[in-house]
Amino acid sequence: MAILVDATGTLAALAGLDLMTVARLHALLDHHEPDEALAVAAGRAQPAPPVAAMMRPPVAAAWRASAARRDPATLTDVCRHAGITALTARDAAFPAPLRVDPQPPAVLFVRGDLDVLGARRAGIVGTRNATQSGRDTAFGLGRALAENGVTVVSGLAKGIDGAAHRGALAVAAGRPAAVVGNGPERAYPRVHAELWDAVCERGVLLSEWPPGTPPEPFRFPMRNRILAALSEVLVVVESRERGGSLITAQAALERSIDVLAVPGSPRNRAAAGTNHLLRDGAAPVTGVDDVLVALGLDTRRTAAAGFDPRPLPRGVEAAVLAACRDDPRTLDDVVSALALPMAEAAMALARLERTGWVRESGGWFEPVVSWSGR
Amino acid sequence: MLASIPSASLLGATGIPVRVEVHIGKGLPGFRIVGQPDPTCRESRDRVRAAVMSAGREWPTKCVTVNLAPSGPRKIGAGLDLAIAIGVIIASEQLPLGTVEGLAFIGELGLDGSLRRVPGVAPMVAVLGDVDPVVPAASIAEALVASQRQVRVASTLGEVLGALAGLEPWPEATVDDDAVDEVPIPDLADVRGQPVARRALEIAAAGGHHLLMVGSPGSGKTMLAQRLPGLLPPLGRADSLAATMVHSAAGMPMPRGGLVVRPPFRAPHHTTSTIALVGGGSASLRPGEISLSHGGVLFLDELGEFTPAALDGLREPLEEGVIRVSRAHARAVLPARFQLVAATNPCPCGGGPPGSCECDDVARLRYTRRLSGPLLDRFDLRVAVQRPSVDDLLDAAGGEPSAVVAARVAVARDLALARAGRLNAELHGELLDLHARLSADALAVLRDEMERGRLTGRGYHRVRRVARTIADLRQGRAGIGSGRGDIELLDVEVALSLRTRIRSTTPGLVA
Repeated sequence: MAILVDATGTLAALAGLDLMTVARLHALLDHHEPDEALAVAAGRAQPAPPVAAMMRPPVAAAWRASAARRDPATLTDVCRHAGITALTARDAAFPAPLRVDPQPPAVLFVRGDLDVLGARRAGIVGTRNATQSGRDTAFGLGRALAENGVTVVSGLAKGIDGAAHRGALAVAAGRPAAVVGNGPERAYPRVHAELWDAVCERGVLLSEWPPGTPPEPFRFPMRNRILAALSEVLVVVESRERGGSLITAQAALERSIDVLAVPGSPRNRAAAGTNHLLRDGAAPVTGVDDVLVALGLDTRRTAAAGFDPRPLPRGVEAAVLAACRDDPRTLDDVVSALALPMAEAAMALARLERTGWVRESGGWFEPVVSWSGR
Repeated sequence: MLASIPSASLLGATGIPVRVEVHIGKGLPGFRIVGQPDPTCRESRDRVRAAVMSAGREWPTKCVTVNLAPSGPRKIGAGLDLAIAIGVIIASEQLPLGTVEGLAFIGELGLDGSLRRVPGVAPMVAVLGDVDPVVPAASIAEALVASQRQVRVASTLGEVLGALAGLEPWPEATVDDDAVDEVPIPDLADVRGQPVARRALEIAAAGGHHLLMVGSPGSGKTMLAQRLPGLLPPLGRADSLAATMVHSAAGMPMPRGGLVVRPPFRAPHHTTSTIALVGGGSASLRPGEISLSHGGVLFLDELGEFTPAALDGLREPLEEGVIRVSRAHARAVLPARFQLVAATNPCPCGGGPPGSCECDDVARLRYTRRLSGPLLDRFDLRVAVQRPSVDDLLDAAGGEPSAVVAARVAVARDLALARAGRLNAELHGELLDLHARLSADALAVLRDEMERGRLTGRGYHRVRRVARTIADLRQGRAGIGSGRGDIELLDVEVALSLRTRIRSTTPGLVA
């Protein structure tokens, strides 16, 4: 049966109750209609026997108290204002991959167009503290996949996630999907507010949590399982020894979803996790073709490399750029490695930075790869 | 009977002349000190009585009153012990009044009659006027520096009394062996690799620029800072005297010659209290670390860990070169012109190559926010310091020794002083426009940086000051040293490369 639009407010009220968990929400919605479920939670209606068994006194008390504070009508307005609709598994629009998932969300709050998920989907995840090269790679992959009509699924976090989304949005037809760990109405991290809005406008943004939910740390690993479930292949661009993206990779493996990883220098700590994945058998990503092949797509459609507008460095600048090519370098490294006077090395690096070949952060110079992904 | 003995007390880094008046009269036997003695000074009673008796003299069984005139200011410490003892002995007619004519007495007494060193002998001797000071033998070096008159020394009360009575000559005033041997300043040759940080140090020394080093633990920030005094020229006469007064007043060990000639290096720990850093502790308004580093280098490691109050206290001295310490009962102006060198990690975890930082944004923001604001503006040079490579560390050949660099620094400093009468770090406003003209292509680069929003207005001034120093070093080396030439593109490029943005770890937009 189709869920009425009005159910959005009710579902938002239910999902935001104190002590509400995914399992409890499933149980409630499996045995009751949304309106009835809210009445049960508020103590105004009789619970079905399995629900009654679950509603132990502390849970029942917390629900009753918080239900009084969560008015469905107000929440309906909030959701309508933010363009949010709520779906349950009974709804026809509920994403098919989640319908068959072992741990599906009970309710999904959606901003944007769910049709985006009808295309081929590739997840791109990675660390928030990424290197310049990692962000460039994620951006390039996002753009190249979008050019090939693949929906980029990511988490809108800082670093790799944001770069992948930006890459997908850099293509006119790019329609990315995002799964986030807080309420869908408020951008987190806040520096991504514009990116967040762009994804909602052109793609789709999903969350298991109702509007008003703060981005608490425990929500992100749960978000990761949905992100993994929505991906047909998962690409990890950069990850530390222990990181949220490895949780996503684990969730993908549990769902028999292929995990690919971008190899990194063994000296790059931000690539330790991805290199670990590669050692454990993940397929390496050396270009977008590897991802397209994993998706079973024809790689011959990819166009020729674009025109690089940056002036080719010559002489000293070329030597300095070559020195920065493999690993990030400091001015010290460049001076000692090339035995250049400091003024000359500084000048070459400054020119390279101005022409866009390298980027400086905290005294380290990293090459900017015009990563066309091919 | 009455005796009046000249002596001195201490406030900040200056002496206060004090007359010790001793009256012995009828009444119940007793001993009182009036005229605002502090607790240490009040305890003189017991020390002086024991010392007088240990020296084989009698303690009068009468009413002894000691007045410390003028009675307004607090009298600090034990430096008046000797004058009180001499006063009591004269007032009790155990020594004729004429024997102390033209003499002043400073020193602390032990119960056995020994004469001990007190802090502040140099500033106290300096205000005595037309009398010859008698000081503890251990203070001879500082007394000689500050006094225009003949300095007499003794190491016990007995020696003083013997000399006054004319029974024996005054002990010979020789510089004693207790004076500290000066620890050699570590040499720049010990620093392996790190050409950028060395260069920054040389520029800081040549221009007097305050230097902030940003780098991971183990990148040698402390090691580099310790070597800065070795690049600076010896202190001038005025600074040297001021530094000597401060060191003496703080009771620091004095160099062998008595005069502080080498630029001091002070590195207070970040738990140091605001008072200890700025000065004004105890009733004597003891000089703080900033005054002790007058003429030299104040090194603050882990800048962000200092309390905000302590860092705020640095702003006035950085501006004016002096610190005004005021308390309810007294105020003092202490010299505090120092070169500030600070070090900090880029973030709480220590940072490292891109991708190795593990801090979350909140922690990083909290860390860098402590550094922000007006203090950060003072640092002309903000250098990212990186760990030297293993090759450099193992390389047997050291870098340039300090002496070579110091010679270049001296030439560049002379150029700056001849041109503007001040170091380049003190060029502001019109002076900067006048003395730091840019060549056309150098100006174009700075304009470009500003248009891209990578250089602020203040940053523009800082870069010009630093570039002026770099140009001075270059012209000094080439021997074309008029110091009036324009700043060229190369100078500006080096200056630009020697500044790191503290908050540069925020991920930039991609593409």
